[in-house]
Amino acid sequence: MDKNFRETSKSGGLIWLFQRVSAVVLFILLMAHYVTYHFIGHGVVKYADVIEKMRAPWFNLVQFLFLFTALYHGINGIWMVAEDYMKKRGTRIFVFSILVMLGAILMFVGMLTIFKAGAKL
Amino acid sequence: MYKDKKFFDLNYYKFTGSWAWILHRLSGLALIFYLSAHIWVISTISKGPEGFNRVMGVLASPLFKILEIGLWGVILFHAFNGIRVVIVDFWKGSLHHKKLFFIMIFIAFVLWIAGGYLIVSHM
Repeated sequence: MDKNFRETSKSGGLIWLFQRVSAVVLFILLMAHYVTYHFIGHGVVKYADVIEKMRAPWFNLVQFLFLFTALYHGINGIWMVAEDYMKKRGTRIFVFSILVMLGAILMFVGMLTIFKAGAKL
Repeated sequence: MYKDKKFFDLNYYKFTGSWAWILHRLSGLALIFYLSAHIWVISTISKGPEGFNRVMGVLASPLFKILEIGLWGVILFHAFNGIRVVIVDFWKGSLHHKKLFFIMIFIAFVLWIAGGYLIVSHM
């Protein structure tokens, strides 16, 4: 690498770096997630089993980290794709706002799941 | 110079990296769409056992198991091509990016078959 990311661009370089860092984190979390939920588990996922798992604080912490990283990576990913096809400043701001809102809503719904179901213990 | 891009503009770049780039974008968009649906479906757990267990029952049906295997394939492509992108960006992977692409696809394919088998056998 002749140039580091700071030399090529300011904001673009940072989201490029974060996208790769979050990718590596997600790779590990997602593989673990698929193994535990889709490969090891038998039959139907049951409410009681999930609530039982949520007794462990580390489980909720990992879920939260997973939710945040996945949403960041996904929403940032859409933005990186969209950026290639938009020239007008207005369009860019509009699309950016929509994406931030989408991310915030999904994060809110996801956190509600973690906290509300956790509160039922 | 800024050049207008089209999503499928492959006229000048009909090579491995270009296809990997397009498929990475398409699979990424599919995955964030899936993730949104996933977060929404899982949120039924906060409304109590009845609704959640009913939804999970639907998800255990053969149709959704097939979709689950398909999802595993999309995830593997995006994940392993993503690892290739990281290798290309941070190390001297750009010298071997085509070879890397086929290595990654091979690993992803093997894991897809293995995972697909596990999903079917654990139904």
